[in-house]
Amino acid sequence: MKKLGLFLTSVVLLNAGLSHAGPIEDQIKYRQSAYSFIGWNTNKIKVQLDKPETFSKEEVIAAANAIAAAANSGLGALYGPGTDQGEGWRKTRLKPDFFQKPDEAKKLATTFNLEANEFAKVAETGDPVQIKVKFGKLTQSCKACHDSFREKDPK
Amino acid sequence: MQKQKIQIWDLPIRLFHWLLVITIALSYLTIEIGGAWADWHARLGALALGLIVFRVLWGFFGNQQARFSQFFPTPSRLIQYFKGQWQGVGHSPLGGLAVFALLGLTGIVVVTGLFANDDITLFGPLYPLINQSLSDWMTGIHAIAFNALLIFIALHLLAIAFYWFVKKNNLIKPMLTGKKDLQISHQTAQPKTKPAYFFISIALALLIVWLTFGNVLTDLLATKPTAQVPSSQNQW
Repeated sequence: MKKLGLFLTSVVLLNAGLSHAGPIEDQIKYRQSAYSFIGWNTNKIKVQLDKPETFSKEEVIAAANAIAAAANSGLGALYGPGTDQGEGWRKTRLKPDFFQKPDEAKKLATTFNLEANEFAKVAETGDPVQIKVKFGKLTQSCKACHDSFREKDPK
Repeated sequence: MQKQKIQIWDLPIRLFHWLLVITIALSYLTIEIGGAWADWHARLGALALGLIVFRVLWGFFGNQQARFSQFFPTPSRLIQYFKGQWQGVGHSPLGGLAVFALLGLTGIVVVTGLFANDDITLFGPLYPLINQSLSDWMTGIHAIAFNALLIFIALHLLAIAFYWFVKKNNLIKPMLTGKKDLQISHQTAQPKTKPAYFFISIALALLIVWLTFGNVLTDLLATKPTAQVPSSQNQW
Protein backbone atom coordinates (compact mmCIF):
# COMPACT_ATOMS: atom_id res chain seq x y z
CA MET A 1 0.00 0.00 0.00
CA LYS A 2 2.82 2.31 0.98
CA LYS A 3 4.67 1.45 -2.19
CA LEU A 4 1.62 2.14 -4.32
CA GLY A 5 1.13 5.48 -2.60
CA LEU A 6 4.72 6.43 -3.24
CA PHE A 7 4.40 5.38 -6.86
CA LEU A 8 1.24 7.42 -7.39
CA THR A 9 2.78 10.47 -5.71
CA SER A 10 5.84 10.23 -7.90
CA VAL A 11 3.68 9.89 -11.02
CA VAL A 12 1.70 12.98 -10.05
CA LEU A 13 4.86 14.93 -9.25
CA LEU A 14 6.54 13.85 -12.46
CA ASN A 15 3.63 14.97 -14.57
CA ALA A 16 3.26 18.23 -12.68
CA GLY A 17 6.95 18.97 -13.11
CA LEU A 18 6.94 18.51 -16.87
CA SER A 19 3.87 20.61 -17.73
CA HIS A 20 2.75 18.76 -20.81
CA ALA A 21 -0.32 19.80 -22.70
CA GLY A 22 -3.16 17.72 -21.29
CA PRO A 23 -4.21 14.15 -21.93
CA ILE A 24 -2.14 11.91 -24.15
CA GLU A 25 -4.68 11.94 -27.00
CA ASP A 26 -4.67 15.74 -27.02
CA GLN A 27 -0.89 15.94 -27.13
CA ILE A 28 -0.81 13.52 -30.07
CA LYS A 29 -3.58 15.41 -31.85
CA TYR A 30 -1.87 18.79 -31.51
CA ARG A 31 1.36 17.21 -32.60
CA GLN A 32 -0.11 15.62 -35.71
CA SER A 33 -1.92 18.83 -36.58
CA ALA A 34 1.25 20.88 -36.19
CA TYR A 35 3.34 18.63 -38.44
CA SER A 36 0.57 18.37 -40.99
CA PHE A 37 0.43 22.19 -41.08
CA ILE A 38 4.21 22.32 -41.39
CA GLY A 39 3.99 19.76 -44.21
CA TRP A 40 1.49 21.86 -46.12
CA ASN A 41 3.71 24.92 -45.89
CA THR A 42 6.81 22.92 -46.79
CA ASN A 43 5.18 21.74 -50.00
CA LYS A 44 3.97 25.24 -50.86
CA ILE A 45 7.64 26.23 -50.88
CA LYS A 46 8.57 23.14 -52.90
CA VAL A 47 6.03 24.12 -55.58
CA GLN A 48 7.65 27.58 -55.82
CA LEU A 49 11.16 26.15 -56.08
CA ASP A 50 10.12 23.62 -58.72
CA LYS A 51 8.71 26.34 -60.98
CA PRO A 52 11.34 29.11 -61.15
CA GLU A 53 9.42 30.92 -63.91
CA THR A 54 6.50 31.65 -61.57
CA PHE A 55 8.52 31.90 -58.34
CA SER A 56 6.63 33.94 -55.76
CA LYS A 57 8.77 35.45 -53.04
CA GLU A 58 5.69 36.35 -50.97
CA GLU A 59 4.37 32.81 -51.03
CA VAL A 60 7.72 31.47 -49.80
CA ILE A 61 8.02 34.08 -47.03
CA ALA A 62 4.49 33.41 -45.80
CA ALA A 63 5.08 29.66 -45.73
CA ALA A 64 8.51 30.05 -44.11
CA ASN A 65 7.07 32.24 -41.35
CA ALA A 66 4.30 29.73 -40.76
CA ILE A 67 6.84 26.91 -40.38
CA ALA A 68 9.01 28.99 -38.05
CA ALA A 69 5.98 29.94 -35.97
CA ALA A 70 4.97 26.30 -35.60
CA ALA A 71 8.54 25.34 -34.75
CA ASN A 72 8.76 28.10 -32.14
CA SER A 73 5.45 27.24 -30.54
CA GLY A 74 7.02 24.86 -28.05
CA LEU A 75 6.25 21.53 -29.69
CA GLY A 76 8.28 19.82 -26.95
CA ALA A 77 5.28 20.22 -24.66
CA LEU A 78 3.47 17.67 -26.84
CA TYR A 79 5.92 14.88 -26.14
CA GLY A 80 4.85 13.89 -22.64
CA PRO A 81 5.67 10.47 -21.20
CA GLY A 82 3.52 7.72 -22.68
CA THR A 83 2.79 9.58 -25.91
CA ASP A 84 4.60 6.94 -27.93
CA GLN A 85 1.40 4.96 -27.55
CA GLY A 86 -2.06 6.17 -28.33
CA GLU A 87 -4.26 7.70 -30.90
CA GLY A 88 -4.68 11.32 -31.94
CA TRP A 89 -6.21 11.84 -35.40
CA ARG A 90 -4.65 8.46 -36.02
CA LYS A 91 -2.23 6.16 -34.20
CA THR A 92 1.03 7.87 -33.35
CA ARG A 93 4.20 6.70 -35.05
CA LEU A 94 6.53 8.01 -32.33
CA LYS A 95 9.07 5.37 -31.34
CA PRO A 96 9.63 4.54 -27.65
CA ASP A 97 13.30 5.29 -28.43
CA PHE A 98 12.37 8.95 -28.25
CA PHE A 99 12.16 8.67 -24.45
CA GLN A 100 15.18 6.41 -24.12
CA LYS A 101 17.48 8.82 -25.98
CA PRO A 102 16.39 12.23 -24.71
CA ASP A 103 19.68 13.89 -25.66
CA GLU A 104 19.44 12.84 -29.28
CA ALA A 105 15.75 13.79 -29.37
CA LYS A 106 16.55 17.23 -28.01
CA LYS A 107 19.37 17.71 -30.49
CA LEU A 108 17.18 16.81 -33.47
CA ALA A 109 14.32 18.97 -32.23
CA THR A 110 16.52 22.02 -31.71
CA THR A 111 18.18 21.49 -35.10
CA PHE A 112 14.76 21.64 -36.71
CA ASN A 113 13.92 24.83 -34.80
CA LEU A 114 17.23 26.37 -35.80
CA GLU A 115 16.80 25.48 -39.47
CA ALA A 116 13.19 26.73 -39.50
CA ASN A 117 14.29 30.12 -38.14
CA GLU A 118 17.30 30.30 -40.44
CA PHE A 119 15.08 29.47 -43.37
CA ALA A 120 12.62 32.23 -42.51
CA LYS A 121 15.54 34.68 -42.62
CA VAL A 122 16.80 33.43 -45.98
CA ALA A 123 13.27 33.48 -47.43
CA GLU A 124 13.28 37.27 -46.96
CA THR A 125 16.14 37.59 -49.48
CA GLY A 126 13.87 36.22 -52.23
CA ASP A 127 16.89 34.56 -53.85
CA PRO A 128 15.77 31.14 -55.15
CA VAL A 129 19.33 29.76 -55.15
CA GLN A 130 20.00 30.54 -51.49
CA ILE A 131 16.48 29.52 -50.57
CA LYS A 132 16.88 26.16 -52.27
CA VAL A 133 20.06 25.36 -50.36
CA LYS A 134 18.52 26.27 -46.99
CA PHE A 135 15.32 24.46 -47.88
CA GLY A 136 17.38 21.30 -48.37
CA LYS A 137 18.83 21.77 -44.88
CA LEU A 138 15.38 22.29 -43.43
CA THR A 139 13.87 19.16 -44.98
CA GLN A 140 16.95 17.20 -43.93
CA SER A 141 16.22 18.19 -40.34
CA CYS A 142 12.70 16.77 -40.77
CA LYS A 143 14.11 13.56 -42.16
CA ALA A 144 16.72 13.18 -39.41
CA CYS A 145 13.99 12.96 -36.79
CA HIS A 146 11.76 10.72 -38.93
CA ASP A 147 14.68 8.33 -39.39
CA SER A 148 15.49 8.16 -35.70
CA PHE A 149 12.18 8.43 -33.93
CA ARG A 150 9.34 7.66 -36.28
CA GLU A 151 8.05 4.18 -37.15
CA LYS A 152 8.58 3.48 -40.84
CA ASP A 153 5.17 1.89 -41.26
CA PRO A 154 2.01 3.47 -39.94
CA LYS A 155 0.79 1.36 -37.01
CA MET B 1 38.36 -29.25 -78.86
CA GLN B 2 39.11 -25.66 -79.62
CA LYS B 3 38.22 -22.74 -77.48
CA GLN B 4 36.62 -19.78 -79.09
CA LYS B 5 35.47 -16.40 -77.87
CA ILE B 6 31.73 -16.27 -78.11
CA GLN B 7 29.47 -13.34 -77.40
CA ILE B 8 27.17 -14.35 -74.56
CA TRP B 9 25.94 -10.99 -73.23
CA ASP B 10 24.85 -8.51 -75.85
CA LEU B 11 25.48 -4.79 -75.47
CA PRO B 12 21.91 -3.92 -74.32
CA ILE B 13 22.17 -6.53 -71.53
CA ARG B 14 25.51 -5.19 -70.35
CA LEU B 15 24.40 -1.59 -70.47
CA PHE B 16 21.22 -2.53 -68.61
CA HIS B 17 23.19 -4.37 -65.95
CA TRP B 18 25.73 -1.66 -65.19
CA LEU B 19 23.27 1.21 -65.46
CA LEU B 20 21.03 -0.60 -62.99
CA VAL B 21 23.97 -1.08 -60.61
CA ILE B 22 24.67 2.66 -60.72
CA THR B 23 20.98 3.55 -60.44
CA ILE B 24 20.42 1.35 -57.38
CA ALA B 25 23.53 2.67 -55.64
CA LEU B 26 22.68 6.32 -56.31
CA SER B 27 18.99 5.87 -55.42
CA TYR B 28 20.03 4.54 -52.04
CA LEU B 29 22.57 7.29 -51.50
CA THR B 30 20.28 10.16 -52.50
CA ILE B 31 17.37 9.11 -50.31
CA GLU B 32 19.69 8.52 -47.35
CA ILE B 33 21.08 12.04 -47.63
CA GLY B 34 17.63 13.49 -48.29
CA GLY B 35 17.00 17.22 -48.49
CA ALA B 36 17.57 18.57 -52.00
CA TRP B 37 18.91 15.16 -53.09
CA ALA B 38 15.43 13.64 -52.72
CA ASP B 39 14.61 15.13 -56.15
CA TRP B 40 17.38 13.00 -57.62
CA HIS B 41 15.93 9.92 -55.97
CA ALA B 42 12.78 10.49 -58.05
CA ARG B 43 14.76 11.08 -61.26
CA LEU B 44 16.70 7.89 -60.67
CA GLY B 45 13.34 6.17 -60.15
CA ALA B 46 12.37 7.22 -63.68
CA LEU B 47 15.61 5.75 -65.00
CA ALA B 48 15.08 2.52 -63.05
CA LEU B 49 11.54 2.20 -64.42
CA GLY B 50 12.80 2.63 -67.98
CA LEU B 51 15.56 0.07 -67.41
CA ILE B 52 13.22 -2.53 -65.93
CA VAL B 53 10.59 -2.15 -68.64
CA PHE B 54 13.29 -2.45 -71.27
CA ARG B 55 14.75 -5.57 -69.65
CA VAL B 56 11.37 -7.29 -69.48
CA LEU B 57 10.76 -6.58 -73.18
CA TRP B 58 14.30 -7.66 -74.01
CA GLY B 59 13.52 -10.92 -72.20
CA PHE B 60 11.05 -11.66 -74.97
CA PHE B 61 12.56 -9.95 -78.00
CA GLY B 62 16.29 -9.81 -77.22
CA ASN B 63 19.17 -12.02 -78.26
CA GLN B 64 19.20 -15.64 -77.21
CA GLN B 65 20.90 -15.37 -73.80
CA ALA B 66 18.69 -12.44 -72.85
CA ARG B 67 15.44 -14.33 -73.35
CA PHE B 68 13.54 -15.56 -70.32
CA SER B 69 12.59 -18.77 -72.13
CA GLN B 70 16.30 -19.54 -72.47
CA PHE B 71 16.97 -19.64 -68.75
CA PHE B 72 13.56 -20.03 -67.13
CA PRO B 73 14.31 -22.24 -64.12
CA THR B 74 11.92 -25.12 -64.69
CA PRO B 75 12.11 -27.97 -62.13
CA SER B 76 13.57 -30.36 -64.68
CA ARG B 77 16.30 -27.89 -65.64
CA LEU B 78 17.12 -27.29 -61.98
CA ILE B 79 17.36 -31.04 -61.28
CA GLN B 80 19.61 -31.42 -64.28
CA TYR B 81 21.74 -28.56 -63.01
CA PHE B 82 22.15 -29.97 -59.51
CA LYS B 83 23.11 -33.36 -60.97
CA GLY B 84 25.88 -31.51 -62.78
CA GLN B 85 24.42 -32.38 -66.16
CA TRP B 86 23.52 -28.88 -67.29
CA GLN B 87 25.56 -27.71 -70.27
CA GLY B 88 24.56 -24.48 -71.79
CA VAL B 89 25.61 -20.98 -72.59
CA GLY B 90 24.38 -18.00 -70.62
CA HIS B 91 22.51 -18.18 -67.34
CA SER B 92 22.48 -21.56 -65.63
CA PRO B 93 19.10 -22.65 -64.23
CA LEU B 94 20.20 -21.52 -60.74
CA GLY B 95 21.49 -18.27 -62.20
CA GLY B 96 18.15 -17.90 -63.95
CA LEU B 97 16.40 -18.21 -60.62
CA ALA B 98 18.61 -15.39 -59.33
CA VAL B 99 17.83 -13.24 -62.36
CA PHE B 100 14.09 -13.58 -61.78
CA ALA B 101 14.50 -12.83 -58.07
CA LEU B 102 16.64 -9.74 -58.71
CA LEU B 103 14.46 -8.44 -61.53
CA GLY B 104 11.24 -9.20 -59.64
CA LEU B 105 12.38 -7.44 -56.46
CA THR B 106 13.70 -4.45 -58.39
CA GLY B 107 10.36 -4.32 -60.19
CA ILE B 108 8.46 -4.29 -56.89
CA VAL B 109 10.72 -1.54 -55.53
CA VAL B 110 10.24 0.56 -58.67
CA VAL B 111 6.47 0.12 -58.92
CA THR B 112 5.78 0.76 -55.22
CA GLY B 113 8.07 3.78 -55.46
CA LEU B 114 5.73 5.30 -58.03
CA PHE B 115 3.05 5.48 -55.33
CA ALA B 116 5.26 6.11 -52.29
CA ASN B 117 5.86 9.27 -50.26
CA ASP B 118 8.46 10.38 -47.73
CA ASP B 119 5.97 12.63 -45.96
CA ILE B 120 8.27 15.62 -46.50
CA THR B 121 8.56 16.79 -50.12
CA LEU B 122 8.89 13.57 -52.10
CA PHE B 123 5.79 12.04 -53.63
CA GLY B 124 5.82 9.34 -56.32
CA PRO B 125 4.43 10.41 -59.70
CA LEU B 126 1.34 8.19 -59.26
CA TYR B 127 0.69 9.29 -55.67
CA PRO B 128 -2.34 11.38 -56.75
CA LEU B 129 -4.09 8.20 -57.92
CA ILE B 130 -4.38 6.68 -54.44
CA ASN B 131 -5.04 7.84 -50.87
CA GLN B 132 -2.39 8.56 -48.29
CA SER B 133 -2.83 5.41 -46.20
CA LEU B 134 -2.38 3.20 -49.27
CA SER B 135 0.64 5.30 -50.24
CA ASP B 136 2.09 4.82 -46.75
CA TRP B 137 1.60 1.08 -47.14
CA MET B 138 3.34 1.18 -50.53
CA THR B 139 6.19 3.11 -48.92
CA GLY B 140 6.57 0.30 -46.37
CA ILE B 141 6.67 -2.34 -49.12
CA HIS B 142 9.13 -0.14 -51.06
CA ALA B 143 11.53 -0.30 -48.09
CA ILE B 144 11.01 -4.02 -47.31
CA ALA B 145 11.45 -5.04 -50.96
CA PHE B 146 14.60 -2.94 -51.15
CA ASN B 147 16.07 -4.71 -48.12
CA ALA B 148 15.19 -8.06 -49.70
CA LEU B 149 16.87 -6.86 -52.89
CA LEU B 150 20.03 -6.03 -50.93
CA ILE B 151 20.08 -9.60 -49.59
CA PHE B 152 19.81 -11.02 -53.11
CA ILE B 153 22.52 -8.65 -54.35
CA ALA B 154 24.74 -9.96 -51.55
CA LEU B 155 24.00 -13.57 -52.66
CA HIS B 156 24.71 -12.54 -56.26
CA LEU B 157 28.12 -11.18 -55.21
CA LEU B 158 28.87 -14.25 -53.09
CA ALA B 159 28.09 -16.49 -56.05
CA ILE B 160 30.45 -14.45 -58.22
CA ALA B 161 33.16 -14.74 -55.55
CA PHE B 162 32.54 -18.50 -55.33
CA TYR B 163 32.96 -18.87 -59.08
CA TRP B 164 36.06 -16.68 -59.00
CA PHE B 165 37.92 -18.36 -56.15
CA VAL B 166 36.60 -21.94 -56.15
CA LYS B 167 35.65 -22.67 -59.73
CA LYS B 168 38.33 -20.34 -61.16
CA ASN B 169 35.76 -18.84 -63.46
CA ASN B 170 35.70 -15.07 -63.92
CA LEU B 171 32.09 -13.99 -64.41
CA ILE B 172 32.76 -10.26 -64.23
CA LYS B 173 34.82 -9.95 -67.40
CA PRO B 174 32.12 -11.36 -69.71
CA MET B 175 29.66 -8.88 -68.18
CA LEU B 176 32.06 -6.11 -69.27
CA THR B 177 33.23 -7.39 -72.65
CA GLY B 178 30.29 -9.62 -73.47
CA LYS B 179 32.62 -12.42 -74.57
CA LYS B 180 33.53 -15.73 -73.02
CA ASP B 181 35.94 -18.52 -73.96
CA LEU B 182 33.86 -21.56 -74.75
CA GLN B 183 34.34 -24.99 -76.27
CA ILE B 184 32.98 -24.62 -79.74
CA SER B 185 31.65 -28.18 -79.89
CA HIS B 186 28.13 -27.36 -78.90
CA GLN B 187 27.94 -23.82 -80.04
CA THR B 188 27.64 -22.63 -83.58
CA ALA B 189 26.71 -19.22 -84.90
CA GLN B 190 24.28 -17.41 -82.61
CA PRO B 191 21.05 -16.22 -84.14
CA LYS B 192 20.70 -12.48 -83.70
CA THR B 193 17.48 -10.70 -82.92
CA LYS B 194 16.15 -8.07 -85.31
CA PRO B 195 17.49 -4.54 -84.69
CA ALA B 196 13.93 -3.26 -84.94
CA TYR B 197 13.08 -5.19 -81.76
CA PHE B 198 15.70 -3.19 -79.90
CA PHE B 199 14.26 0.14 -80.99
CA ILE B 200 10.71 -0.97 -80.26
CA SER B 201 11.74 -2.06 -76.74
CA ILE B 202 13.50 1.25 -76.11
CA ALA B 203 10.52 3.21 -77.45
CA LEU B 204 8.06 1.31 -75.26
CA ALA B 205 10.25 1.81 -72.19
CA LEU B 206 10.41 5.55 -72.87
CA LEU B 207 6.65 5.62 -73.42
CA ILE B 208 5.98 4.02 -70.02
CA VAL B 209 8.34 6.46 -68.31
CA TRP B 210 6.65 9.39 -70.02
CA LEU B 211 3.16 8.16 -69.10
CA THR B 212 4.08 7.90 -65.40
CA PHE B 213 6.63 10.64 -64.79
CA GLY B 214 5.17 13.04 -67.36
CA ASN B 215 1.94 13.13 -65.30
CA VAL B 216 0.02 11.76 -68.28
CA LEU B 217 -1.53 8.84 -66.41
CA THR B 218 -2.45 10.95 -63.39
CA ASP B 219 -4.15 13.53 -65.61
CA LEU B 220 -6.11 10.79 -67.37
CA LEU B 221 -7.01 8.65 -64.37
CA ALA B 222 -7.15 10.87 -61.31
CA THR B 223 -10.64 10.98 -59.86
CA LYS B 224 -9.81 13.88 -57.59
CA PRO B 225 -8.26 17.17 -58.72
CA THR B 226 -4.50 16.78 -58.93
CA ALA B 227 -3.57 20.39 -58.22
CA GLN B 228 -1.06 19.29 -55.59
CA VAL B 229 -0.70 21.89 -52.90
CA PRO B 230 -3.44 24.32 -51.96
CA SER B 231 -1.75 27.70 -51.99
CA SER B 232 -2.86 30.99 -50.51
CA GLN B 233 -4.35 32.66 -53.57
CA ASN B 234 -7.09 33.92 -51.30
CA GLN B 235 -6.56 37.18 -49.45
CA TRP B 236 -6.93 35.56 -46.09
